[in-house]
Amino acid sequence: MFLCVRTPDPLVVAAWQEHPERKGRPLVIGGQPSERLPVLALSEEARRAGVVEGMPLRQAQQRCPEAIFLPVPAAGGADRVRRALCSALYCFTPAMGEQDGVFFLELDGLLLQWPDRRRLLQAIAVEVETTLRAGAALGLGENLFVSRLVAAHTSWSSTRIVEPHDTAAFLAPLPIRWLPLDEDMGEYLDLLGLKTLGAVRTISRAAWQRQFGAKALAVYDLAGGIDRRPLQPWRPPVRIQETMPLEPPVDNLEALQFIVRGLCDRVGEALRDHALGTRWLEIGLGQDGERPLGLGVRFAYPMTAPPDLFVRVRARLLRARLHAPVDRVTLTARSLEPIYVRQPGLLLRRDGFQESLADAVLRLKEEYRPELVQRAARVETAPPLADRRFRWTSA
Amino acid sequence: MSERLQHALQQLHSRFGAAAPQLAPPTVPARPSGIPEVDALTGIGGWPAGRLSLLAGSRGSGKRTLALKTVAYATQQGTAVYVDVPARLDPEGIVRAGGVLDRLLVVRPRSLKEAMDSARVLARAGADFVCLDIPRPRDAALDAELPHLVHRAAEAGCTVLLIHETAEEAISVRYYASLIIGLERKAWVFRPDGDLAGLEVEAATVKNRMAPPIGRVRWVLHY
Repeated sequence: MFLCVRTPDPLVVAAWQEHPERKGRPLVIGGQPSERLPVLALSEEARRAGVVEGMPLRQAQQRCPEAIFLPVPAAGGADRVRRALCSALYCFTPAMGEQDGVFFLELDGLLLQWPDRRRLLQAIAVEVETTLRAGAALGLGENLFVSRLVAAHTSWSSTRIVEPHDTAAFLAPLPIRWLPLDEDMGEYLDLLGLKTLGAVRTISRAAWQRQFGAKALAVYDLAGGIDRRPLQPWRPPVRIQETMPLEPPVDNLEALQFIVRGLCDRVGEALRDHALGTRWLEIGLGQDGERPLGLGVRFAYPMTAPPDLFVRVRARLLRARLHAPVDRVTLTARSLEPIYVRQPGLLLRRDGFQESLADAVLRLKEEYRPELVQRAARVETAPPLADRRFRWTSA
Repeated sequence: MSERLQHALQQLHSRFGAAAPQLAPPTVPARPSGIPEVDALTGIGGWPAGRLSLLAGSRGSGKRTLALKTVAYATQQGTAVYVDVPARLDPEGIVRAGGVLDRLLVVRPRSLKEAMDSARVLARAGADFVCLDIPRPRDAALDAELPHLVHRAAEAGCTVLLIHETAEEAISVRYYASLIIGLERKAWVFRPDGDLAGLEVEAATVKNRMAPPIGRVRWVLHY
């Protein structure tokens, strides 16, 4: 069984979190009515007044004169809300994900931990409300499609369960707009008088395929409550950072290398625990009484092993110009990718170069300048001039 | 080897350590140059892999033409690097000699240190052939970097070919090179229509650590 958690638009939730006094009032996000912009998000009160997403803001004001119009909030507010909710739901089960603005949880694996389903749903509702400081609609169905429809037909701060044997009865009266139909197909079904999901299921599967083709069978299955799409799980973001404060500050480069070696070991261990490799390692050096110094090391392929990390970090560190003793060293792994067994001598890139050679070229370009190592290619259409016959590109 | 000789060698080794007589190392693997005359001159069938070779000769003696042909042949076998310090490389010569430009990396350094650093890093990373075109024979940076380059090339089995104007002035190069070939132009070769077709060169083995010197070879080097 899948649980669908339908929440108010994250933009609206972010606006509520900034100004709690606006909760319960019609809220329209997108700009001021004088601007020729569309409505991006709105609260339920504004929707009840007839405002919808995509409507011009001036028209929204005509429909709901008492609405509060807000500009598009700074980037990150809605993402923060989404991330917070995902993290809260992830605590219940890792089999959770977000699709098209709603959140899904697969509850089949939670039966041992939560034998009473009602109490589980209640706990999830409380957690969501605590995280968002707003109520959510929870719908439980046998798959993603059904649970989404159940949640869509549930009022805020309440939960509805549709058991598998009740799915057909629940879906039958719903309009076909809930199906993923293109415009032509929707009009065609409307002309045929097929206005509900139950009406669609009155046609045989073979007749449907003859009329609309094999690709439309997925739509037919959805109308009957059959959804084979798997849940795309959400994974919490991984942040791998190791830091070491130095007291007293260190100005000896040998000692600094020793410290960095230890940090590389820790970063490598963390990467291995997450089965990840890094392509970009940031070195932060806090300088006593001076501005901190930021350095970076780029790798040609995802790197995990501490010695590999240290070789490059050490080379970069030795080239750094320090103006004061270092009081803090931080290593942050960026551009994380799944780990794989690295065999640079065997791996060939698409251009035929060994990975190790590509890495060496990258290092030289980083250390000196991009045009140090070049490759020549003959230009077939070039005029017969000595300097035009070949095109030089950075390797 | 007889048992008594083996026993004697063991005794000498326990007594004198590394100074004791040792078995001769196996034959140095060679990378053919694509020119039969040069392969014969080296005594091992090509440029030695993992060693430094020197191609010396005055201006116009054909050493760069020979080097380009060698590089072209090396690109057919694997990845080659051309360190172009004077920035005079024309890829046309490599293409004419049948080289594969996709497998050629050209390093254009601003200083000798950059050149030697690039050669060392690329040799270590797996380049099969590195050609160093360095016009100035005497330089402190060259003397300092050569041992590192030779060491890395030996580790990776990379063939390093150095082009120099004259071998006499480059004392460190003469010391570290395992093979020195001196080139001398004997005559220009013209086509019947009067265009220059190449040059007749005479090559001599000045130094060879892998095989006994073979003397002199003369042939026509076509452009």
